[in-house]
Amino acid sequence: MTELIVSATRLSREYRLGTETVHALREVDFTVETGEFVALLGRSGSGKSTLLNLLGGLDQPTRGSIVVAGRELAALNATDLSLYRRTTVGFIFQSFNLVTSLRAWENVALPLVFQGVGRLERKRRAHELLESVGLGKRTNHVPSQMSGGEQQRVAIARALVNSPRMLLCDEPTGNLDTGTSAQIMELLQQAHRQGATLVMVTHDPELARRHASRTMRMADGQFVPDAQPQEAA
Amino acid sequence: MNILWLAIEGLARKKSRNLLTMTGVLIGVFALTMIVALGQGLSHAVTDTVSGSDNLRQIGLTGGYGIELSNNPADVTIEGEMEEDRRERLRRAAVNRRQIRQWSGRRINEIDDKTIAELSKLPHVESIMPVIVERYTFEGAIKSDGSLTGGLDVNRRRYADRVIAGRYFSADDADEIILHEYMLYKLGLLTGKDYDAVLGKTVTLRSIVNAGDDPTANAPPQLRDFMDSLSDEERAAMMKILPKLMQQFGQMAQAARKPVQREMTIVGVLRETVPGDVFNVIEDGNAVQTDVFMPQETARSLFNESAINRELGYPRALVLVDDPENAPAVEQALRDKGFTAFSVASVLQQVETMLTVITVIIAFLTGIALIVSTLGIVNTMITSVLERTREIGIFKAVGATNWQVQAVFLAESALIGLAGGLAGLATAVLAMIPGDAIAGSLISERAAVPYTGSVFVVPLWLALAGPALGMATAILAAILPARRAARIDPVKALRHD
Ligand SMILES: Nc1ncnc2c1ncn2[C@@H]1O[C@H](COP(=O)(O)OP(=O)(O)OP(=O)(O)O)[C@@H](O)[C@H]1O
Ligand SMILES: [Mg+2]
Repeated sequence: MTELIVSATRLSREYRLGTETVHALREVDFTVETGEFVALLGRSGSGKSTLLNLLGGLDQPTRGSIVVAGRELAALNATDLSLYRRTTVGFIFQSFNLVTSLRAWENVALPLVFQGVGRLERKRRAHELLESVGLGKRTNHVPSQMSGGEQQRVAIARALVNSPRMLLCDEPTGNLDTGTSAQIMELLQQAHRQGATLVMVTHDPELARRHASRTMRMADGQFVPDAQPQEAA
Repeated sequence: MNILWLAIEGLARKKSRNLLTMTGVLIGVFALTMIVALGQGLSHAVTDTVSGSDNLRQIGLTGGYGIELSNNPADVTIEGEMEEDRRERLRRAAVNRRQIRQWSGRRINEIDDKTIAELSKLPHVESIMPVIVERYTFEGAIKSDGSLTGGLDVNRRRYADRVIAGRYFSADDADEIILHEYMLYKLGLLTGKDYDAVLGKTVTLRSIVNAGDDPTANAPPQLRDFMDSLSDEERAAMMKILPKLMQQFGQMAQAARKPVQREMTIVGVLRETVPGDVFNVIEDGNAVQTDVFMPQETARSLFNESAINRELGYPRALVLVDDPENAPAVEQALRDKGFTAFSVASVLQQVETMLTVITVIIAFLTGIALIVSTLGIVNTMITSVLERTREIGIFKAVGATNWQVQAVFLAESALIGLAGGLAGLATAVLAMIPGDAIAGSLISERAAVPYTGSVFVVPLWLALAGPALGMATAILAAILPARRAARIDPVKALRHD
């Protein structure tokens, strides 16, 4: 049997808004095997991003357990969570989230900055990765000088710079046209083939079906059977 | 190192805002550096002027009022049964009475040859030389109806270098005088020829008031004006009282003085002090107004020819101690014997303490500028943290620890502080060039002692402390904003726009 990289049990995340409690995740059980490519579908507000943030250690659950790569994230302190993010996961966001004042290669090398890697080595690794996502000629551009697709490719290179075991993608093609989306998905596939586990949030069931090894659907903070014939717009 | 790079990158984005913030630090550090450098410079000026020659071995000695009693009410015993507040009042009364007696009483310990011989036996005392400053008239090659004369210890030869014409004294008891160039100028003698005309010539020295002469002849002008305003009757009465009065106060007791007279030979001309001359606080301080110099022993024998002088003793004496280290002990020993004594070293120390206190107080006031600049830094950092919320989210998403996020902002602020501090130091050092010139000319206009050194002095510790202080306040100012940055929730920050 394949090893589980993610194993969450009765995972809950609640937000308090005054007297009201928003249940973003309700006692979710969720596992991912190493090397899987899981697509998360669901309406807006169903809790997909919340789950992804918990997986990435950006957020911590209100209740329940979430074990990733052998570590109980619910029990980690702030510093250990940072180290976990640094070594184990890479994030790719819908809105790219590049540092606008930094050049492409500097953005890619940003995770290395916090690991104390020297500038020359950072530059070498960043160039290598930018080359592999087809941006070898754009290394000195700042984000505002690049198209959305190019920016997302920089973000992918950044997510890969630490060779993480798991890539967490929150609607990576949400801001891109179909052609560009295909390029991005090709890069993600490539990372998957090279051994990374992928969890990707998307609104596009077609995309999920084509690329993912498994598709999960969420509604109102819980998993639901993925059997609906039609999709929410 | 990497954090520093991020900090520099962050600062470079808002150049003008950060420059403004830095200017605040600059002004604060500039002002502080100037003030402290001035304090240092003044203290050096005092020390340099005084520590040359054998100043620190010298003690000025004057007659005393007996052993000084304590001025602390706690040391006074008031006997008898009474309420505590009355006892306290009586204690204060006792002390007040003592002080008045000290200020106005007649001295009971005079300095004469006997006491000098006695005090010279004190340990560590090398010599005691009475300071003799007397007014005499001169007639002959030059004429003066009252010039201040002073005795010089011929062996010390401190004044020999200042002789610009003729020669120095031949012996400690020679009947020779050296004239100050200013006196000769007042007499219309300026050129070498003029000098040659008087050098080698003799003059007759006389004490000013002969018996039966007008006792007011040597009185201050105010007193003479006052006398003129009196009626004839009053003036006659005053003339009777005045000699007694003056004798009572130990001054100008000319009426009772037998006339002193001696033939003196003019042997040299002495120039005024110039910058670079070693200044001797007590000796030169006494000689500032002296026009006619003579050997110490000659001056002493002239002084002692007067009965009144013999009775009243010397007004002051100069005590020379074998080593500066022993000056405080000798000073205390002289006081214990009931004399008034001030070592140059202890006066110097008081002046330095005062300078330090003043410098510290002003520096604290100036520190307000630095506090204001701190507020500027707080403001800049808070704005910067808010503006970069999303960036902070990104930092955290790629693995920055809270401490690293905090360090980025602390480093930015530290750089602002350091740059401002260095710029402040540089500005201060530049400003000291004209500042030195201006202050130097102000001082040379006013001070009796020529001083050529710098008025502003920046010792190494000050050069380091200015920028370090700028940096330290900047780091302090950034602590709260940086903490806030570190605590930002990355999930919210990444959604922020
Ligand atoms: N900081 C927060 N405070 C309060 N409620 C929140 C907060 N973050 C998320 N929620 C709520 O949690 C629920 C799940 O949000 P989540 O972002 O996970 O949805 P999502 O499935 O990612 O939606 P979308 O497809 O629009 O991105 C939503 O109802 C949202 O309003
Ligand atoms: Mg979402």
